[in-house]
Formats: sequence, structure tokens, C-alpha cells
Amino acid sequence: MSEWRDQLLQMLPGSSLLVWAVVLGGLGLWFRVALLDRPTALFSRILGLLSLVLLGFWLPRFGGWAEQVTFWLLASVAVLTAGTAISTRSPVYMAIWFALSLLATSGLFLFQNAQFIGFATITVYAGAIVVTFLFVLMLAQPEGDAPYDRVSWAWFSAPLALLAGGVLLAAMLLTFSPDGPGRPDASLGPVVPPSALATDQHHVARLGGELYSRHLIAVEVVGTVLLVAMVGAVAIVIQGKSAYVPGRQDGSRIRGRRDAPSASSGGAP
Amino acid sequence: MNEAALLVNFLIVGGLLFVTGMVGFLVRRNLIVMFLSAEMMLQGVSVSLIAWGRFHQDLGGQMLALFIIAIAAAEAGIALALILMLYLRSQTLDVAFWHDLREEGQPPYVDQGIPETHREEHKWPRLTPSGVRPEVDQEEQMHRSRV
Amino acid sequence: MDVSVLLLLIPALPLAASIICATLGPRVLGRYCHIPVILCLVAAFVCSFLLFLEVPRTAVPTESDRTVVYERVVPVWQWAVIRDALPQALRSDGGPVSRDLSIEISLRADAMTAMMLTMVTFISSLIAIYSSGYMHGDRGYWRFFAYLSLFVFSMTMLVSASNFLLLYVFWEAVGVCSYLLIGFWYEKPEAAAAGKKAFLVNRIGDFGFALGLFLLWTTYGTLNFHDTPVNTPGSVPVASVGADEAQPSDGDAPSATGTVRGVLSPTRIKNHDFAGGRVGLAICLLLMIGACGKSAQFPLHVWLPDAMEGPTPVSALIHAATMVTAGVYMIARCTPLLMVSPESQIVVACIGGGTALLAALIAITQYDLKRVLAYSTVSQLGYMFLGLGAGTFLGITSGMFHLFTHAFFKALLFLGAGSVMHAMGNVIDMRRFGGLRLRLPVTHATFLIGCCALAGLPPFAGFWSKDAVVASIEEKVHSLEHGEISAGGEGPAHADAGAGRSAVPSTGSANGLMANAAAIYGILFYVAMVTAFLTALYTFRAYFLTFHGPERIPEEAGHHAHESPAAMCWPLIILSIGAAVAGFALDLTYTRQPIQLFAEFLSTTPSLALGSVVGTRVPYAFHTGIAGISAAVAVAGTLLATYLYLGDSREVQWLKSTFDLENFSRWYESRQRTNWGAKPWVAAIHRGASRIGLGWLATLIGQSLLLAGFALASPLLLGNFFSPYKLSFHKFFLDELYGYIVVVPLRLAAAACYAADRWIVDGLVNACGKAALAFGSLMRSLQMGLVQFYALAMFLGVLVLIATKLMMLAG
Repeated sequence: MSEWRDQLLQMLPGSSLLVWAVVLGGLGLWFRVALLDRPTALFSRILGLLSLVLLGFWLPRFGGWAEQVTFWLLASVAVLTAGTAISTRSPVYMAIWFALSLLATSGLFLFQNAQFIGFATITVYAGAIVVTFLFVLMLAQPEGDAPYDRVSWAWFSAPLALLAGGVLLAAMLLTFSPDGPGRPDASLGPVVPPSALATDQHHVARLGGELYSRHLIAVEVVGTVLLVAMVGAVAIVIQGKSAYVPGRQDGSRIRGRRDAPSASSGGAP
Repeated sequence: MNEAALLVNFLIVGGLLFVTGMVGFLVRRNLIVMFLSAEMMLQGVSVSLIAWGRFHQDLGGQMLALFIIAIAAAEAGIALALILMLYLRSQTLDVAFWHDLREEGQPPYVDQGIPETHREEHKWPRLTPSGVRPEVDQEEQMHRSRV
Repeated sequence: MDVSVLLLLIPALPLAASIICATLGPRVLGRYCHIPVILCLVAAFVCSFLLFLEVPRTAVPTESDRTVVYERVVPVWQWAVIRDALPQALRSDGGPVSRDLSIEISLRADAMTAMMLTMVTFISSLIAIYSSGYMHGDRGYWRFFAYLSLFVFSMTMLVSASNFLLLYVFWEAVGVCSYLLIGFWYEKPEAAAAGKKAFLVNRIGDFGFALGLFLLWTTYGTLNFHDTPVNTPGSVPVASVGADEAQPSDGDAPSATGTVRGVLSPTRIKNHDFAGGRVGLAICLLLMIGACGKSAQFPLHVWLPDAMEGPTPVSALIHAATMVTAGVYMIARCTPLLMVSPESQIVVACIGGGTALLAALIAITQYDLKRVLAYSTVSQLGYMFLGLGAGTFLGITSGMFHLFTHAFFKALLFLGAGSVMHAMGNVIDMRRFGGLRLRLPVTHATFLIGCCALAGLPPFAGFWSKDAVVASIEEKVHSLEHGEISAGGEGPAHADAGAGRSAVPSTGSANGLMANAAAIYGILFYVAMVTAFLTALYTFRAYFLTFHGPERIPEEAGHHAHESPAAMCWPLIILSIGAAVAGFALDLTYTRQPIQLFAEFLSTTPSLALGSVVGTRVPYAFHTGIAGISAAVAVAGTLLATYLYLGDSREVQWLKSTFDLENFSRWYESRQRTNWGAKPWVAAIHRGASRIGLGWLATLIGQSLLLAGFALASPLLLGNFFSPYKLSFHKFFLDELYGYIVVVPLRLAAAACYAADRWIVDGLVNACGKAALAFGSLMRSLQMGLVQFYALAMFLGVLVLIATKLMMLAG
């Protein structure tokens, strides 16, 4: 049972590489995110790529060349597009980068023999949700990037967020590292070799069968939640149409608010 | 294929997505961007879940990912409605505009002022004028996206 | 009826009346509140009288002392038991000592209790009848009667308690009733202040009393008066066998095994089992402090005159006849304790004599009728203590006899004063009325009898009892000079030990005191005589000022200036009969077979029937010489008062101005007013001096001369403030003295405490609050209302959780 673990531990190099990877990636993201208004895109991309390469060196190999290359491609696309998405100034570009990331992610799903989820992600996320976001964006912010997209809300927000994320990631990575405190061991459960599940021809049928037998109540609940959300969304929009002036504590205005409030309220269909 | 190594690889990809989404959620001020970042975090979780499902040869992970998609759809519906309403009221998508939850007597806190908008001067090619200048509709001018 | 039933009924009846009045009074009974109270009090008096008759009949003679002892203890219930309260069992010579503190509610019947009960219930019944007329129409009618009967309950319990703790409880209870009744008209600021003063001054005495109780407990291991059978498993029998063998002579002593000796039990008295020496002296002095507070003796007497702010029946009952005699009763009850400590007897006698003289001196110049009577009460209580301080059988019985007769004539005098007040529209200043003898014939006649009794004119009651007190002092002096009777021992064999077997030798200073005992008692004899003269003087002064001279009626009287109703007159008449005959009816020493009935009756009390006090008992005799002197003194005082106040007032004015040093002060003031600088010869000297350049020297000399004159005249200036008359009129400035010595420092300390509390303690507490507030405002600034900030905080929290988890895994 433990031979795979020993194997894994042998494959994993020391954690210094890991630390470098995390630090570099964090720096890259920081240059991108905290200095949204500075032209540091190239530098941060270089850093990000470097970090990913280091991480790739650190990560254990799991299969043959074809599989490895496919995974690396998909994974790096997903991560890089995600990083680009959150650091893009324009929300529209952001949505598009995110959709690209979703596509790569669904590719990863397919790589994991989760065909249904992969296609559902493409259909529902990339096809429906992101498009809805784009619609709203066009309704709400038709002129593209706004001033507040250029800046964060506090000087310490980006460092602290990166610190939190970095520590979170480092904790997870350290868990797998040879000298980490919580390596995956037998307690994770039995490891079975790739069985029929991976190569099942009737994957979707089995998924459906599972969904409507073991998780029937959950399915019903989720259906109800969707219905309620739909009704709620309609209710919110209808209620919000009635005249309501937001209560403001002291009448001070945040800079960046549009100066002509009446112009687009009439323009919203 | 080494299943354990595969699991570790996928978990790390999922973690990266989650952390990236988290940073976006915490740093960006645009409401829509924040919600997309939240979706990105969900995506990271989904990646981890599916990896675990494969590792354990169990469909539960995929089930959960499926539910995440459903809940994300519901959340997106509600959130977009809310965003739309907020926008209609305040004419801005800036989350820092909404301060009303703060303690009484606290001054509104926004650390970084919004920089002056400096639009890059586009270097349009100098062409010889030909024909007549088209009539620009004022309404269209206002609503044309500068994306 | 059985004694135990009577003993229970006597306090129970007033208590029932009090409860009825308090519950039904304001709504149901209304102006008939006095009916249950009078009925119950009269019934209690009947019971007491039955008890009074029962006691001498059932008294049994003891063999050894050929005296009759009667003691009957009725245990009602055991209130509380504290196991093993004493750290170790005390050494006792005659029996086991229980280490438990058991508090029994037990009543006792003996001669002294019977006498006190009869006196209290008799006087209180009469006063309740009187009050139904006097308090008629008062808004707090029901309240008055509820308090009154509550007081009678407490007083009867006080005198029938057979336990020092119970005595203390009801000692406090009568104090509370006194406080409530002094401040009965609490809307009146003077009344409220007087009640407060009485209560606070009594606290000082009660504190001493409480300390005395503690010392009694640690010394004797019990607080009961009587023997208690040991029935508790925690008790430790002390080696009592040897002690019993050591005393084979006490054949009649019951076997002490299995009983705890009470502090004042016959067994203990018979065996002289008392702590002498310093402990005994300390116990006696502490008890005396308590008695001083309650009976208004010298350092603590200041509350009683102010207590006259209460309704007059209250002054008559509580502050003249009954409650203030509780101290006398307690000291008389503790006679065996005092007998082992002769020094304390001297202290008691000195306090009594000094107070008698001081109060008499003050009473001479007072114009407030009730205040004169109040000071006379203080003075007469001093007489009683003087008698107790003699420490002889005759002294103690005569002190109690004076207590008994005093209750009659002082209640009578107060009620008479109340009758005068009633007619004069609550005016009590003797300068504002006069010549009332025709307007108020009954009051006049009874008041005259009371005055005669108080002044000690034969054959009224006061003469006999006062004479007995003075005679006992004289006899004490005589015995001390001739060594016939030792101060405290049973006989010549015990004379040096002084205090029975357990006594330790007295201290050197006490020996010195004892050496001068004869001289001290001799001085006290003359003090008593002078006081008797002054008593007659101020009594008749008040009488003549009120009832003789030209008729003056204040305008407040209105159409009320007539005799009081029957409900008020009849008690006066009954009391005047008592005041007239109580003396010679009970003191038969002048007959062919001299016997003092009262002393004979009291002699069955264990405290007086056994122990060393018996040795001081001498055959009864009528002291013709002393009686003659005191009668002559009383007559002289009366005649002087008649001469001064019945004639024109010129002599009085002359005396007043003489004692007030008015001539001196006039001279002094005339000197002061002289403008020296305006005298021509002074001006001439000054001019001459300044001409030769010595003007400054002349000024200096002149100023020095003036200063010297001022210094020489300062005694006169002081005399202007502290002339004998002013001293007396202002009560020797004792209230002012206490005010500056006690009240002002206390107020300053209180102000300092207040300031410390307000600024330091409160400041600290407020600083804590402010610190929390400041910290809170610091944290408030984090609540900036930004959603992302909250999300960031949440993620950082998750971070902390993960870090902790990793640490735990690693560690």
C-alpha cells in the first residue's frame, strides 16, 4: 500500500524549489495586480512563467510524455489565463480570459475522464454564465474600463491577499513535500488502480444513474434552489425598479462614480 | 499512470486556480470582476474534487462538481440581478462605493484614490481626407462601447 | 396558673397587641387602636402581678446560706447551636463545659424579673390609657400604639430573658422602639435628628456591651444565666470529679456532672466560680459601657434630653420609667460578676455619682419643662448606679428600690408635663406659661406629689429610696473604714483574695484605687447630698415656674387651656398614689420590727441571695441621722426654691447675673470700648515722642500695653463665655464638645473617603471603562464597511487556522 507513497516521495525534490516557485508567482501576480495602472505586464508574465516552470520541475511525473505534455499545456493555460483574467483592467477582457481558463479547465476534466463535467462546464459556465456576465457588463458599464478598475481599494489589500494565498498554497504544497507534516498516506483511503471507471464506455449513463439514485434528494434541492434563485432574481429586479434612493451616511461620494447619473439610467433597457 | 502523482498535480492546479480567484476577489473593485473571481475559486475547487474522485474511483467528486455548477448558476443569476440593481441606483460598479455597513461615525475609507483617467493618445494614421465627415448620432456616441 | 404559662403570656400579649395594631390598625381599627393595646397590657399586668405573688410563695430555702433562692427557667426553644465553637473546653471547677455555642430562647422567673415585669406592665398600662387621650386625633395613632406595645413586648422579654444573647437582642429591640418613638413625628427635623442621635449614641454603648458578651463567652463558655444540662454529643466533660472532691463542704450543691454552669446560676455563685482580676474587671467595665449607653450615664448621656422630642407618653414610659432602667437592671443582675471586681464597683459608683451631680447642675437652668425632667431622670439614674456601685446588698437593693419608686414619680411627672403641654398647645417653655394651678387642678395636685417624691421630701416615695441609697453609701464608707465587710469577699477569709477561688491578685493600680476606696465613697456621699439639694431646688423651680406666679398662657393654647380629659387624669391620680405610698409601704424599717419589704422580696434572686453579696448584708435599720440630713437637705432645697421663685424674681436675676459673671463682662466691655488713641494725654505723649523722633517707640509701647491688657483680661473674656451659669445652661458644652471631637472629624473623614471614592476608586473604574471604550473605538475603525476588507479578514482567519493545524501536526 505504501510503495506508491515512497515512489512519490522519491520523485519529489526539496521544498526550496517550491518556495521559489511560490515567491516568484506571488511577485508576478503582485506586479500585475497591485500595480494595475503600471505597464509591468511583460515583467510579471515572465515571472509567472518562471514560477510555473519551477513548479513543473517540482511536480511529480505521472505518466508518459504525451500525457505529461497534454497536462502541462492544459494546466499552464488554465493558470496563466486565470492570472491574466484577474489582472486585466477591463472587465470584458477579464470575462473572456476567464472563459479561456474555463476551457482549459474543462480540458483538464476530460483528461480526468470526467467527460460530462467537462462539457457541462463549457456549456454552462463558458456558454451561459460568462455570457450572462458579459450582458450585464454591457448593461452596466458600457464604456469599458472604469477608473476604479485601475486601482485596488487599499495599499495593503494586494500584499495581504497574496500573503494569504501564498501561505495557503504553500501549506497545501508542503503537505505533499517529503519534509512536510501531513503527507498523503493510507488514511486517505484505498488506492485502486484505474479500473473500469476510467475507461467506461457508459460513463454518462452511470453518472446519471448515480445522480438519480444516491443523490436524488440533493438533485431536487438544487432544482428548487435554481427555481428560487430565478424567482429571486426577477423579484430583485422588479423591486429595485421602484423608486429607492440608497441611504448614504454622510453624503460623501466616492470618487469614480459617474458624474451623469441620469444619462444611463434612461439608457438601460 | 501514477495515480498519486496525478492527484498531486491536479490538486496543485486546483489550488492555484483557487488562490488566483481569491486574490482577484480581494483586490479588484469591480463588482462583476469580483464575482467572476469567485467563480474562478469554485472552478479550482471543482478541479480538486474531480481529482479526488478519480483517485478514489468514485463518482462523488463529479457529483459535487455538478452541484457546484448548478449552485454557481443560481448564484450568478441572483448576483447579476443584484449588481444590476446596485448599478441602477449608484451608477457605478465600484464596490468601495457601498460603505453603509461601517460603524457609525467612521469616515468612509478608501485608501487609494482613483487615478486621473489618462487615455492613451491613439496614433491614428494620417490619411488624406476624402469624402464627407459622417454624421455621428449623439445617442450612439454615448452608448458606444469603448472596449 | 403555672409560672411558665404566665412567663410566656406576659410578653406574648403585648406582641399580639402590636401585631393587631400594625395589621388592622390603619384600616379597621382606626381611632380605636388603643383598645386592644390597653386590654393586652392590662392582662399582661395581671399576669405579672400573679407572678409577683407567686415568686415569694414558691421560693425554697437553701441550707447553707440560710437564704431563700427562687429561680425558675422556662426554655422555649433552642434557636441555634454551633458545634465546637470554643477551641478547647475551658477549665472549670465545677462541671463540664460544653464547647458548643447554643443559643436558647429561655425565660426566667425570679424576684428581680417579677418586680421589673410588674413595674413595666403597670406603668405601661397606665401610659397606654393616658396616650389614648393624649394622642387622640394624631395621624399616626395606630402606629403609636403598635410601637408602644412592641416596646412593652421587647422590654418584658429583656427583663425575663435568661440568656445574655437574648438580653442583648431585646436590648437592641427596645433601642429600636425608642428610636421609632423618638422620631415618631418624623416630619419634624428635630425629632428625626434626635432619634438618630439616640440610636447612634446607644450604638457606642451597645458596642461595649457586645464586646463584654464576647469576653463572657470566651471566659465562661456559655451565655446562659442558668445551668444547662449537657445533652449534646460534642460536649467535653472537664475533669470535674477532682473539683467536686475538692469541695466536700458544698453538700447542697447538686452534682454538676452533666450540666453546664450558667454565668449567673446558683451553682456557680455558690462555688465562687468567677473570673477575677483583669478579665473580670474588663467584663464589668464593658457591661458598664453598655449600661451607660442605655441608661444615659455620663459620657453617653447626651441622647436622653434630646429624646424628649418624642411624644410625652413615650418620654414617660421609655425615657423615664422603663427602658433607661435596663442598664440598672443589667448591672444589678450581674452583681456576682461585679462582686469579684471591686474596682469596677468604684467605677460604677463614680459614674453614677458624677452623672447625678452633673445632670442636676444642668437641670437647674433649663427652661424646657421636659428637659428639666429629662436631666432629673439622668440624675436619678445616677443615683441608682451609685447604689449599685456600693456593691453591698443594701446598696443594690436600694438602687433597685429607687428604680422602682422612680418609675412611679417620674412617669407621673412626665405625664403631668404632658398634660400641661396638652393644655398649652404643645408649648413647653416655662417662660411662656405660669400660674396654672387653678386652670389644671388635677395636674397641679398630682404634679406636686411627684415633685415632692422627686425632691425626696418625706414621706413620699423618693425620700425612702434615695435615703436608702445614701445610707448604703454611708454604710459602705463605714465598713471600709472599719474593715468589717470586705469589698468583695464572702467573709474575712476571702477578703484578700477578693474574688473567690479563681481570682488572681489585683493589679497595683487597682490596689491603689482600692486603698482610696473609703475616701472615694466618702466624697460620693457628699456628692449625693449636694445632688439631693439641687434636685429639690430644680424640681420645685420647675413646679413654681409652671403652676405659680401670675397666670400666663401662650396664644398657641387657644381654647384648650383647661384640664385634660379623664383618660389622662386617672393615670395621673393612680400614679400619684403610687408615688406617695410606694416608699413607706415597702420600706418598713421605721417600724418596730425593721424590715425592708422590697429588699426582702428581691433577696430571693439568685444574684442577690448567694455568694459574696450575702456577706455584705447587714440587719435592717432606720438610719435616723442620714434620713434626717437628707430630709433637711431636701427641705432646704425646697425652701430655697420657694424663696427664689415664689417671690419676685429679683434674687433670681441677681443670682443669674452673678453666676453669669455679667458684671465682669460689662466692665471688660466698657474697657474694650475705650478709645485710647483719642485720650488727650495719650495724644500728647505721642506728639511729644514724635517730636523727638521716637514716635515709633511710643506706638510700640502703646500697642504692647494694649496687648498685655488683653492678655490679662482674657480669663474674664473666657468667663464671659464659660461662666457657671452659661456652663449649666449650655449643658457644660458637652454636645458642642462631642460635635468638635467626634462629629467633625468623622465628617472630615467621610468627606475624605467620599473624595477618595469619587476620584480615585471611581476614577480607576471609569478609567477601565474608558480603556475598553478606547480599545473598542480602535476596533471600530476596522469596521469600515468595505466588503472586501471583511473577506480579507476572513481569509486571514482561515490562514491562522491552517497555521495552527500545521503547527499541531508538526509539533
